[in-house]
Amino acid sequence: MIPSMNIGLPDDYKVEVHTSNGRGFNPEEIAERCADKILSVSDSAHPAIQQQAHAFRQRIVKLIEFYLADAVQNDRTTVYNALTDAGHPELASLIRRL
Amino acid sequence: MAFNGNFMCTSFKKELLEAKHNFLASGGNTFRLALYTNSATFTAATTAYTSSNEISNTAGSAYVAKGVALTNVNPSASGTTALTDFADASYSSATFTARGALIFNDTASGDPSVLVLDFGADKSASNGTFTVVFPTADASNAIIRIA
Repeated sequence: MIPSMNIGLPDDYKVEVHTSNGRGFNPEEIAERCADKILSVSDSAHPAIQQQAHAFRQRIVKLIEFYLADAVQNDRTTVYNALTDAGHPELASLIRRL
Repeated sequence: MAFNGNFMCTSFKKELLEAKHNFLASGGNTFRLALYTNSATFTAATTAYTSSNEISNTAGSAYVAKGVALTNVNPSASGTTALTDFADASYSSATFTARGALIFNDTASGDPSVLVLDFGADKSASNGTFTVVFPTADASNAIIRIA
């Protein structure tokens, strides 16, 4: 048989669209998406493997969530200081209270 | 007419054999993701970007013509399958509705199309974030795979 090349989209291919209203995504939502990029397990994998993978994924989500929240808080501190230094203490206070 | 499923454009397959597309993260072509209303009529026969039926902002200015530039992920191999991926595409402070998208090569002459993406339903954001999440970049799910 002559080898051939297949190129295409998976049969069940589907992009996902995530939207938010009146706000950006929070660390919890982004952590879920991030974990999906790091870890996936086939539906046909052995049940024990699936169970381990799902347990591992839950731990990863919590870890990512923690550090994302930490990053947000640190960035707000940076923005707060920048606004204060620029002479906008009320605006800075607003950012700090978010 | 309306979106009728996901398609890899036939012209793109041909153009791959003509070396018109480069997906390298560094030094590769710029691919963009343009959003469309459900009036768009894309099929596998779609050959290039069009502004016809491209979405517009309901409010604000988050969306611009031709959409957002995608971040290329270096092509890789998994077993005997070669694949490539893009980083998820986000529009922030977005207020608009889209039913689907077209990925096209903004570097190549004529803005040749790559993929038609059907979101399955209208997706809306209001003063929020609109993110297109690409599938897992593995041999079974990556957005572009050569097996």
